[in-house]
Amino acid sequence: MSRIYAIMIVVITMNDIFDCKLLIVDDGPELRKMVNEILRREGFMKIVSAADCKEARQLFAHEKPDGVILDVSLPDGDGFSLMREFRAASAVPVLFLSARDEDENRLLGLGLGADDYITKPFLPRELTLRLRAVLSRAYFPVILRRTEKPIFRLGETEIDLNSGTVITNNDRLTLTAKEFALLEKLYENRGNIVTGDSLCRAAWGDDLYGYENTLMVHIRRLREKIEPEPSSPRYLLTVRGLGYKLTGVEGK
Amino acid sequence: MKSMVKILSRYVLSAAGIALILLVVNFGALVVLIIQSGQDAGKDFNISQLSESLTSENGAYTLSETSRNAIEKQYQWAMLIDNGGNVVWSMDLPDDVPLKYSISDVAGFTRWYLNDYPVTVWRRTDGLFVLGSEKGSIWKYSMQEPQTVMDNIKVWMPAVLILNGLIAVLLALLFGLRLFRSLKPLAKGIEDMAEKRPVELSTRGLLGNLAAGINKTSAQLTKQEAALSKRDNARIIWIAGVSHDIRTPLSIVMGYSSQLEEDPELPQSKREQAGVIRRQSERIKTLVSDLNLASKLEYDMQPIRRKVIALATLLRGIAVDFLNSGLSDSYFIDVIIRENAQSAMVSGDEELLKRAVSNLIANSIRHNPNGCAIKVTLDKGMENCSLSVSDSGVGFTQEMLDDLNHPKSFAYLENHGLGLTIVRQIIKAHGGTTEFRNLPEGGCTVVLCLPVSAVDDN
Repeated sequence: MSRIYAIMIVVITMNDIFDCKLLIVDDGPELRKMVNEILRREGFMKIVSAADCKEARQLFAHEKPDGVILDVSLPDGDGFSLMREFRAASAVPVLFLSARDEDENRLLGLGLGADDYITKPFLPRELTLRLRAVLSRAYFPVILRRTEKPIFRLGETEIDLNSGTVITNNDRLTLTAKEFALLEKLYENRGNIVTGDSLCRAAWGDDLYGYENTLMVHIRRLREKIEPEPSSPRYLLTVRGLGYKLTGVEGK
Repeated sequence: MKSMVKILSRYVLSAAGIALILLVVNFGALVVLIIQSGQDAGKDFNISQLSESLTSENGAYTLSETSRNAIEKQYQWAMLIDNGGNVVWSMDLPDDVPLKYSISDVAGFTRWYLNDYPVTVWRRTDGLFVLGSEKGSIWKYSMQEPQTVMDNIKVWMPAVLILNGLIAVLLALLFGLRLFRSLKPLAKGIEDMAEKRPVELSTRGLLGNLAAGINKTSAQLTKQEAALSKRDNARIIWIAGVSHDIRTPLSIVMGYSSQLEEDPELPQSKREQAGVIRRQSERIKTLVSDLNLASKLEYDMQPIRRKVIALATLLRGIAVDFLNSGLSDSYFIDVIIRENAQSAMVSGDEELLKRAVSNLIANSIRHNPNGCAIKVTLDKGMENCSLSVSDSGVGFTQEMLDDLNHPKSFAYLENHGLGLTIVRQIIKAHGGTTEFRNLPEGGCTVVLCLPVSAVDDN
C-alpha cells in the first residue's frame, strides 16, 4: 500500500526519473565522488552522499531520497540492515553496489527486497542503465507507460505487432497466435540469433526437444507471410543447428 | 561389522577343526600303540612255542637251546608244575618261589603275580608251564564289562566323538564371542576413524593397549584434519579478501577510463588509450573473480546449485551468446547434437556448466587470433554425456597437455591462466572427467564427460 501511495504522490510531483533525489552510501570518498560525477553526467542533479550508516540515517530522514545506492560493507554496520531500516520507513528503491561478489550476498540482497545488485568493479554505463531501470519501474510503472507495440518494415512489407497484421503492396494478412509469438521474439532480438529453444519457450513454453518439426512448420508459414520469396528468405534467416535470425528490420 | 562376523565364524570353525584333528590323531596314536605293544609282547617266541620245546623223555625234561636262550632273554625264570602241584622242571628258579602249589595257589597266580613276579602260564597235558619275569617289569590288569556295554560301544563311540566335536565348537563359539565383543568397539573405532569422526574408546580389558593406540591415532588425525582445513580456510579467506580489496580501486580505474574513452572533447588517440586501460581493467576483474572461484572450487567451498539441465539447450544458448556478442567473421561456431543426445539431461549448476563451456570456447578464440572453426559436439552414452569443444587452431603444446591432463597442483598456472583450471574443477565438482587432446588434423579438443541425470526422459 505504502508503495502505491508513494508512487501516486511522486507521479504528481515528478516529470521524469532525473527529478529523483538520490542518496549514495559508500565509505570510499573517491568512489563516492566518481559515482556522483557519473550520475550528474547522466542527468541526475539532486544527489547527496554519506560515508557511513549514521550519516546515511540522518540524510535519509532529512532529505527523503527517491533512490538509494548502497554499499554492503560500511564502517559502522552493513548495508543489508540499513536497507531494512529504510524500507521500514518507505518503499524507496535500493540498488546495492558491493565489492562482495559471492552469490550468497547477491541472493541475500535481492532476497531482502533490493531492486538490483551490482558487483564492483562496474562500468559507468552498467550503473546508469540499471539505476534508470530501477527508478522507472518504481515511479513510472508499466501502466503509466506507452503500451503500444512496434510497427516495423521488412523491405516493402509492413508489420504491425499491435494488430498482428502483415501489409504488403497488394495484400493484408493476419498472423496466427504462434506466428505472432515467434515474430515478436525475433523482433525483440532483431539482428541477433535466437535459439530454437527460446522460440519454443516463447510459443509453447518448452524447450526445442520434441518441437523441431512443429517449429519448422510455423517458421515456413511465417515466411510465406513476411518474405517476398519464402523459398529463399532474406529477412528471416536460418542459422543451422542453432536457431533463427531476423535481419533488415527498418522502423516505420 | 560384516568382516567381524566372518572372522568369528572362521575362528569357531578352525577351533572345532583343531579339536577334531586332535581327537583323530590321539585315537590313531592309541591304536598304533596297542598294536605295537602287542607285537612287542609277541617278541621272538610266544609262550606256546616255548612250552612245546620243553619235551619229556622218561621223566627227564629237556629244553631246546634256542628256547633256553629265548627265555633267558625275555624272561627271568621258568618252571613246569605237574598236575599234582609239584615243580617237576625248572630253570633259574629264584629261591623265593615255592616248589609245591595247591589249587588255590595256582588259581591265585595264573593271571597275576607269583610272589610279585609277573608270570605267564601255558597249559600242557602234563601240567602247567610257567614263565616268570623280573619283579616290577610288567603291570597287569584285567578288564571286565557287562555284555550290554560292549554291545552299545559301537553306538557310543561315534556319539562321544560327535559330542566332543559339539562341545569343542560351543567352547570355541563362547571364547570367540568374548573376543568378538571386545574387538567390536575397536572395529567401530577404526571405521569411525576412516570416516574422520573422532574416536574415544575405553582402554580397559584385554585389548586396552590396542584401543589406546587407536585413540591416539584418531586424535592425531583429527588434529591434522583441523590444521589442514584451517589452512585451506585461511587461503580462501585471504583470496576472497584480496579480491574484495582490489574491487573498489578497480571500480575507480574502470569508471574514469570509461568516461575518458567516451569524452568527445579528447583527441581520438587519447580516447583509444583510455579504452586500453578500461579493457585491461576488465581483464583484471575477470582474473580476480576467476581466482576467487577457482580457490572456492578447489576447496569445495563453492555451493553447487543443482537442477536438471537440458544440455542441448544450454550449448545452443552459449554458442548463440558468442555469435551475438559481435564475434569476428573469422570464427565459426558449429553446434552438433547427436540424435540420441537431443534430450540428454544432467543434474548440475547451470551457471557453472555454462561457465565451463564458455571458458573453452573463449580459450579457442583467444589462442587463435586469426580465426578458427569451433565445433561443439554433444553425444550420449549409457551413463555419460560427452561434451566436446574442438577447434581447428594451433592446439596445445605437449607441455601444456601434460599439465592439463595431470595437474600437479592447483597453483600450477603457467601458460594458461585460470580458465582451463576452472573448467576441470567445475566438471570434477559435477562428478565428471575432463580430457585435453590435440587432433591429428590440427587443432585441439577438450572432452567433458558428465554423468547423465536419473530423470533423463529417454
